[in-house]
Amino acid sequence: LETTLSPQAEVFEALQQLHMTVFSQSVSPCGKFLAAGNNYGQIAIFSLSAALSSEAKEESKKPMVTFHAHDGPVYSMVSTDRHLLSAGDGEVKGWLWAEILKKGCKELWRRQPPYRTSLEVPEINALLLIPKENSLILAGGDCQLHSMDLETGTFTRALRGHTDYIHCLALRERSPEVLSGGEDGAVRLWDLRTAKEVQTIEVYKHEECSRPHNGRWIGCLATDSDWMVCGGGPALTLWHLRSSTPTTVFPIRAPQKHVTFYQDLILSAGQGCYVNHWQLSGELKAQVPGSSPGLLSLSLNQQPAAPECKVLTAAGNSCRVDVFTNLGYRAFSLSF
Amino acid sequence: TMSSESSKKRKPKVIRSDGAPAEGKRSRSDTEQAFEIEERRIQSCVHFMTLKKLNRLAHIRLKKGRDQTHEAKQKVDAYHLQLQNLLYEVMHLQKEITKCLEFKSKHEEIDLVTLEEFYTEAPPNISKAEITMGDPHQQTLARLDWELEQRKRLAEKYRECLSNKEKILKEIEVKKEYLSSLQPRLNSIMQASLPVQEYLFMPFDQAHKQYETARHLPPPLYVLFVQATAYGQACDKTLSVAIEGSVDEAKALFKPPEDSQDDESDSDAEEEQTTKRRRPTLGVQLDDKRKEMLKRHPLSVLLDLKCKDSSVLHLTFYYLMNLNIMTVKAKVTTTMELITPISAGDLLSPDSVLSCLYPGDHGKKTPNPANQYQFDKVGILSLRDYVLELGHPYLWVQKLGGLHFPKEQPQHTVMADHSQSASHMETTMKLLKTRVQSRLALHKQFASLEHGIVPVTSDCQCLFPAKVVSHLVKWVMIPHEDYMDLLFTKDIVEAGLAGDTNLYYLALIERGTAKLQAAVVLNPGYSSIPPIFRLCLNWKGEKTNSNDDNIRAMESEVNVCYKELCGPRPSYQLLTNQLQRLCVLLDVYLETESHDDSVEGPKEFPQEKMCLRLFRGPSRMKPFKYNHPQGFFSHR
Repeated sequence: LETTLSPQAEVFEALQQLHMTVFSQSVSPCGKFLAAGNNYGQIAIFSLSAALSSEAKEESKKPMVTFHAHDGPVYSMVSTDRHLLSAGDGEVKGWLWAEILKKGCKELWRRQPPYRTSLEVPEINALLLIPKENSLILAGGDCQLHSMDLETGTFTRALRGHTDYIHCLALRERSPEVLSGGEDGAVRLWDLRTAKEVQTIEVYKHEECSRPHNGRWIGCLATDSDWMVCGGGPALTLWHLRSSTPTTVFPIRAPQKHVTFYQDLILSAGQGCYVNHWQLSGELKAQVPGSSPGLLSLSLNQQPAAPECKVLTAAGNSCRVDVFTNLGYRAFSLSF
Repeated sequence: TMSSESSKKRKPKVIRSDGAPAEGKRSRSDTEQAFEIEERRIQSCVHFMTLKKLNRLAHIRLKKGRDQTHEAKQKVDAYHLQLQNLLYEVMHLQKEITKCLEFKSKHEEIDLVTLEEFYTEAPPNISKAEITMGDPHQQTLARLDWELEQRKRLAEKYRECLSNKEKILKEIEVKKEYLSSLQPRLNSIMQASLPVQEYLFMPFDQAHKQYETARHLPPPLYVLFVQATAYGQACDKTLSVAIEGSVDEAKALFKPPEDSQDDESDSDAEEEQTTKRRRPTLGVQLDDKRKEMLKRHPLSVLLDLKCKDSSVLHLTFYYLMNLNIMTVKAKVTTTMELITPISAGDLLSPDSVLSCLYPGDHGKKTPNPANQYQFDKVGILSLRDYVLELGHPYLWVQKLGGLHFPKEQPQHTVMADHSQSASHMETTMKLLKTRVQSRLALHKQFASLEHGIVPVTSDCQCLFPAKVVSHLVKWVMIPHEDYMDLLFTKDIVEAGLAGDTNLYYLALIERGTAKLQAAVVLNPGYSSIPPIFRLCLNWKGEKTNSNDDNIRAMESEVNVCYKELCGPRPSYQLLTNQLQRLCVLLDVYLETESHDDSVEGPKEFPQEKMCLRLFRGPSRMKPFKYNHPQGFFSHR
């Protein structure tokens, strides 16, 4: 049932859409749905299978359900095999994927890590799942990495070392080690068993990649066990982890906010509307425009259960989530 | 006849004797022959004599027989005739009998009362039961008697009633006379009381006169007049209603047909003469036709709305007779002379002050779909070209006049719908007042803005820190096209929020070397619909929402979070509070800019604002939220 809005409400809704930022995305375990979180604390669930089907209409590009999840922006989301975990203003909530499509869905649980400060609730910028341990790493405004056991919900460890807030996390499966990048310009590697910092790379101190006029903050991080790619204020650079040396500097001026390894490519996105496809050698293979003036998150749907929904989705400074069926071009956009 | 018969016999005789056959005996002597002939002659003469006698006898017998027959026949005829006469008489008598038998006496047509009733009602001297019971003739007579009696009585009654009626009618006449002589006496009292009315401020007479004039208003203006007067009296003493214009001209519109026909023929003749002398050009003819089509009714309704600060909104409502629509002209007057700042030109101008009172009601097009066909005939493209002169045909004006043009059935125009007018009156009056007051408030604010001062009222001071360094240096109005041409307003235009009914402004805020341009969309529905800002910062490069997340956040702070900046109702401070907030936001932006290690020298803007944290979240947001009364800045 559509109710007609008063003119004020119409204008207000239009303004909200114009000023919306989608920070995070997560694909459902079955691969058919995509969750997106925005700056108003809302989470929208889109049906990828409906939007990709041949009978897709305009309504298929709208969310199946949108609900208010957090008081602050939803900066980060991850999915386990049954749950959707979302992080908002200082707390993390768990939702059941099976229940999430029903109206009035409530969170299964919510947890807040033990914070040091009490003046301001720090934000959670990154969530990382450690499948082997069945635990979740949270990191953000209070400069610490918190580890939470998913079974019991207790916070087991707090890793300190960053001097400014943490932007991003990555998991080095082999060791297992967690990498974190922060506002202080450093990428730190942590050993989960000893809970200690084992390696530190201060990216801004390296001349090849530092860009002082942009700042020293590390906005994005990805690792392929031996290799690590990171970017932000400094240029997007590929590092060899063991020797802590930068091997390739990718020639793009705009600060990058998300980076990921995909097959033999590196995909990155940030300021500017493009999704950049890089060869490991540093060559730009393709620059595919999206519909938002700046991108903040990329998501690759590689769930084995839904091969027909294997798409790349990109979201950022708009109310839209771009869907790339073929990495080479933007097929259409979902919208809040 | 006997002689003729006998002569007939003779002839043959003679002839025969000539032709007698010669018999054989010639030897006889002639004397014997002559003797035989003479004998035979005598015999024949005797025979002839006998024949004649016989003939004569036969004739006589025949005659006798005929005479006898004739006599008998005559007798029979006479009898026959007698018989017929008698039969005829019989038939006649039978007819008469049946006639008599069928004869209906008039008395049988009279509906007499039934026998039972008769016996019960009639007095005994008439009913004479003893006699009449047995004798039907007498009974009928008695009944007829009774009937007559009754009828006489009723006729008497009827005559009585008639005379009564006459009497009463006469009385009524007398009373009427009395009352009609009362009217002029009352009028004279009214006249005499006028000075007293004025003295006591009770202008009943004036109201009465108005009602008299109102009778000549066309139906839509009449509906408006009645409803507005009622509303003014019942709910809103600040509303006053009056009628302007010439009543005589209004009366002249309805001349009786014969007169007008004569006039027409006269004027036609006149026209013909003039056309013979000097043909008016086709253009002039068309012009006249247009003027005729757009003609207004000579009477108009004036509504004056007084606002709290004693400024008045003067509304004049007209009715375009041939187009069947109403229009309105507006004017705002204030107690003190208003000096209009340059940027405030359109705020109170008669052309735009009432634009979009209801969303989308721009008043540039006729609301009556039938008018388009009329326009095509005389070459009028749109009513837009004539609104300055005729007034604006807003939809709410039609509604107040009870006019309704349903889209689904364009031929069924609803006229003089009082209930429609009444249901829209209160809301419209309130909107009009709000509109005038918000425009006057903006007017005042613009005067201050043009001088570089952002006027913040005392009850809104808590929204901002005490010290604001960035300041407004310019405030100008820009035309719609210029707004569309700006590079950093594209997304507003694409979202359909920058139509041509809005007003557009450009503000410039400066601090040191930083210049912040703000393009403002002011919706006519201000302040319930907030102004929309788009920013472009020139400082170490050009920054807009497409390349700087914090500029986007600043826009969000004034556009999305506008409700905090509304101030106390009726929220006319919204625009100035938004501008002040922009100044504060620019301060925060400049002071929290992270220091570039590669560049030598101190920061241009040292941080003076108290902030808990400088950056937050993946977008590295600056702390734009001001916390009162602690006075520090934080993140949303």
